[in-house]
Amino acid sequence: MDGLFSQVAVLGSSGVLLCAIVALWRHGIGAYISAFKWQSNVLAALTAAVAYFGHDYDLYWVAALMIAVKGVAIPRLLTRLAHRVGQNRESEPLVNTATSLVISGLLILLAYTAARPLQTLSAAPTRAGIPLAIGLLFVSLFVIVSRKKAITQVIGFLMLENAIALLAVLATYGVPLVVELGVFLDALMGFLVMQIVLYDIHDTFNTLDVDVLNRLKH
Amino acid sequence: MFNVTGVVIEIAQALLGLAVAPALVGLIRWVKARLQNRRGAPIWQPYAELRKLLGKETVISSNASWIFRTAPYVVFGSTVVVALLVPVLITPLPFNQVADLFALVYLLLLGTFALALGGLDPGSPFGGMGSSREMTIAALSEPAIALAILSLALGAGSTNLGEMAARTIANPTVALSPGHILAFAALFIVMLAETGRLPVDNPATHLELTMIHEAMILEYSGPHLALVEWASWLKLTVFLTLAANLFVPWGLATSLSPAALAIAFAAIVVKLVVLAVLLAFFETRVAKLRLFRVPELLAVSFVLGLLAVTSSFSLSASSRHSGPESLSNTRAGGAPSALSPEDANQQPSRRIEGLR
Repeated sequence: MDGLFSQVAVLGSSGVLLCAIVALWRHGIGAYISAFKWQSNVLAALTAAVAYFGHDYDLYWVAALMIAVKGVAIPRLLTRLAHRVGQNRESEPLVNTATSLVISGLLILLAYTAARPLQTLSAAPTRAGIPLAIGLLFVSLFVIVSRKKAITQVIGFLMLENAIALLAVLATYGVPLVVELGVFLDALMGFLVMQIVLYDIHDTFNTLDVDVLNRLKH
Repeated sequence: MFNVTGVVIEIAQALLGLAVAPALVGLIRWVKARLQNRRGAPIWQPYAELRKLLGKETVISSNASWIFRTAPYVVFGSTVVVALLVPVLITPLPFNQVADLFALVYLLLLGTFALALGGLDPGSPFGGMGSSREMTIAALSEPAIALAILSLALGAGSTNLGEMAARTIANPTVALSPGHILAFAALFIVMLAETGRLPVDNPATHLELTMIHEAMILEYSGPHLALVEWASWLKLTVFLTLAANLFVPWGLATSLSPAALAIAFAAIVVKLVVLAVLLAFFETRVAKLRLFRVPELLAVSFVLGLLAVTSSFSLSASSRHSGPESLSNTRAGGAPSALSPEDANQQPSRRIEGLR
């Protein structure tokens, strides 16, 4: 039972991390959005599995909320945003695709070494997934810094949020429901603010490429 | 244990692979045709192609040397040797001492190398172009293959094919472990690249700009062409068999009883058909990548292999406190940690007590 639980935990975390890597490989904004959607769905499934194995029924609510907010609502808003702004490609990432894939692999290795003490301290059956969650944290940060378009940077931020949720679920079987809700609301507010800022940037500069933001405009 | 029965079965396996390979390719083509709303050639069409080619005469360019003439035999021979090594029906075999994943991969590469030389030799521009592309892809898929193999070997504790399959049969939870699944994905992408399937090379066209495999064999004709084509089909069959029996080894016979062998035969046929249909579906879904995006695809494969290795490694390192369900014994008796599991009970959460 315990063995199966840790297997499922590691498998789910690998799936979540894999979605981020798929996003790094594809070019279109649509691909980024669908990668984020799938990532959220896998994360919700993993949360439900942890709820089932860990007998923690609050986590079912968290999983349902994840599907509703991150799996359905935010991807829809993002798609609308992309349509309205009329952009569908990440033009030229700062780092080319093959290099960024290799870098993400190295970041995951780094996460493994960084998480080693955590793993030896923890006795939870989910501990094997912790390095993967930290790796996802690094990879999503890398998405934020290496992409030029504001939309893809926002998706990187959302993936970062997913990584934090994953870490919370794996390390402590989910923080109390109130805190979880607070984090959700935070992420949603952050996302809405970013959306408004994106619209403004687009209205002012007619582009979402952050490289042109250092041009002065009135 | 070089007993006669084992050797006979071994040779029968290789012959079975040779006999089944054209049908498998025919099946893939037929399924693809059906998916594209065409009627498609019958499944035994490749056999007819082989018969036709073997009956024709060989035409050789006056610029070609002995390399051009021997390359088909090297390609075919090395692929048949690989077919002898792969566990198709039964796992402990007389040739098991040499049935090593590294040996297998590099024997296949020997065939690739010979074919590339054969493409270069007559001096036609197409052949040279195809060879250079093939070598680029082979060099790029190399690290991904090595990592995927390493990950599987870490899980099984050896690089021997028979050992790996036996280990997975004995320990079914391994098949669910992320190391296993990611290694499968990495090996699948590499397989597509190595056997010239769709996202990398289109096996159905003769259009110059997309050709890799076709460009190399453009100068071949008659029996030589038959050998080269048959070898490439056999290579695909071997890769699919390998994928089936390393990752889902159930159904492999572990004894020489006829019943077990019959079950093994049925199992491998079912697995190959399922994999072929999946491959046809996949090829219908994806478009061919531009040549300059192929390195990115292989980089994906490399990263998957890297993830597979790290997860196998960390699992084998971290399973030292867990009990009987520890995943591998590569690190038997790691350093005792400073904290016994009882001391580590000061969990951040109150809910863990229920799990013990």
